[in-house]
Amino acid sequence: MAAFAAYTIIGLSLGGIFSLAALGIVLIYRTTGVLNFAHGAMGMFSTFIAWQVFYGWSHPFWPGWLSTFLAVLAGLIFAAGMGLFLEFAVFRWVRSREPVVKAVITIGVLLALQSAASLIWKNNQYHLPIYLAPQQWVWVVPVADVPIGANSIAIIVVALGLAFGLGAFLRYTSFGRAMRAVSDSPTSASLWGVPVGKVGAVSWMLGSLVAALAAILITPFINFDTTSLTLLIIDALAAALIGGLVSLPLTVLGGFILGLLETYPTIWIQSIGFPRLVALVVILAVLIVRNPRGFSVAAK
Amino acid sequence: MTSRLMFRVLGALVAFALLARIPVGFDVGFKFDAALAVIWAFGLLSLVLLTGYVGQISLCQATFAGVGAYTAGMMVSSVHVDYLVAVIAGVVVAFALGVIVGLPALRLRGITLAIVTLGIALVFDRYIFQDHAFEWFTGGTGGWRVGQATMFGLRMDSSTHLMAAYLVLLALFCLVALLLVNLHESGAGRRFRAIRDSELAAATMGVNLTRYKLLAFGMSAAIAGMGGSFYPLVAGSVSPQPFWLFTSLQFAAIAVLMGVRYVPAAALGGAFMAFVPDVLTRYGHGTFMGHAYEISYDWFQIAVGVLLIVQLIALPDGVWGDLRSRVRHARSAAGAVGGRRVKVA
Repeated sequence: MAAFAAYTIIGLSLGGIFSLAALGIVLIYRTTGVLNFAHGAMGMFSTFIAWQVFYGWSHPFWPGWLSTFLAVLAGLIFAAGMGLFLEFAVFRWVRSREPVVKAVITIGVLLALQSAASLIWKNNQYHLPIYLAPQQWVWVVPVADVPIGANSIAIIVVALGLAFGLGAFLRYTSFGRAMRAVSDSPTSASLWGVPVGKVGAVSWMLGSLVAALAAILITPFINFDTTSLTLLIIDALAAALIGGLVSLPLTVLGGFILGLLETYPTIWIQSIGFPRLVALVVILAVLIVRNPRGFSVAAK
Repeated sequence: MTSRLMFRVLGALVAFALLARIPVGFDVGFKFDAALAVIWAFGLLSLVLLTGYVGQISLCQATFAGVGAYTAGMMVSSVHVDYLVAVIAGVVVAFALGVIVGLPALRLRGITLAIVTLGIALVFDRYIFQDHAFEWFTGGTGGWRVGQATMFGLRMDSSTHLMAAYLVLLALFCLVALLLVNLHESGAGRRFRAIRDSELAAATMGVNLTRYKLLAFGMSAAIAGMGGSFYPLVAGSVSPQPFWLFTSLQFAAIAVLMGVRYVPAAALGGAFMAFVPDVLTRYGHGTFMGHAYEISYDWFQIAVGVLLIVQLIALPDGVWGDLRSRVRHARSAAGAVGGRRVKVA
């Protein structure tokens, strides 16, 4: 029972990771119509910037919270800049092209970012993750005596908060409405006076920020190297597909479900690769059985 | 039509004759690259069929090549068959896997198919090729070692007979490329292209979508697997690294970059994929203005990514497609000029 509860906790924090990663994908897809395969790579690159500031450039006499703050700030600023750069240098020029072409472009972005990171930071595994909350903060569940780290709780809370926050932003603010309008039809949105260029820039900036935030929060929980964060994309896509590439709350729910589904088999099967199989089965099940709503655009 | 076929056969023969002589003067490293170039060209050719002709996107072509490589390695190392049998086994297994991967493709198109094939590539990369549950297939951590292989009774192995392996590979590539070029106008090729342009219209005109989509995936996987099944022969052993997810992504990127609709673009892309990183890492170090520098393999992948983005924005038909249309324009412009001159005279 205690083991089961422990695995549930692990699964839920893993699910929080997937949800966070998936939220950015859904956000970018909903607002720009680009299915971003490079989402994991973008988060990875920003996280390495934060890591560099935290371990490479911060002064040893600074208090811990200050270096953490500066590192996260640097990572997020870099992420925003990268999102803007991608919009202005790349995606602005392909707005009217087919969704598949845009998706293939993101594969180019993925390859470039991935190799640039492995060029700068090499293919080592870094065992010095960035802890937003001190590692010693552990909360013990009274029923099952399972310790939960403050970092796990942070992930779950941020995932839920972002899902509802971004959802509300897209639904209730005029800028959010403009973003959805541009995604539906850039031409008619611009006829109604929506600043299409500005909306695209903000969408990419926001998506990149979410990617960076997710990746920074994730570092304490995975092998922190250049590929593992990039490859998180497949689990994130599975969660995003559960949400139909549209619904932010359903995406978070999908992330938690996937996290649990990937964790429980590890009670019996010790394998690094097996969870990927679970993700693939979930993707296939969702795509073939349910045919998500976001498909009307994706299937073109 | 027959004269066209003759012309193409002649073209394939000339291409084989020219390409067969090129690596003769190379050192062992570049000879290995030449053989590897043909293997990668097979992978890219499989995308010409699947994406260029049939319009199905796939991000797991390196998986098919890897399955072919592991099957051939297993056959040679554990059963000690002639390498030809091993290659046939690799192709058959890859074909079967291709048909299985094609099954979800019956319901999916475009981006969703990309997601599924990405998932398949990742599962094979992280689970099947690397997990010890599949050691019977992958030969454990060391992989299968192929020391002494024979093909048609001739000795062929990586250390001494690299050129023989290269010639067999090249001959097979020219043959498959010729078949693919001819497929384009054949009945099956027209059905494939009808599926690419509109599945609905193709089905309305009586194209059996299930059969032709599965056939396309199977044939494509078989082509990639044919290249892959020569990998153990050329490299001497099999490991998961050459067939991991990023190779699949590079296949997709380079196929699109070179022109995914054109067969010769696959050969061009294979040479690009094999030679450029080796040339970069071999000659790309020294000192420049007092600073020592070293160009690593990562630069190649950065270049591929950036070139892909630039190409998709500027030259949607790929490098080969763009060159081709430029040559045609130049030729017709020259023809027009010549015609006018005749009129004046």
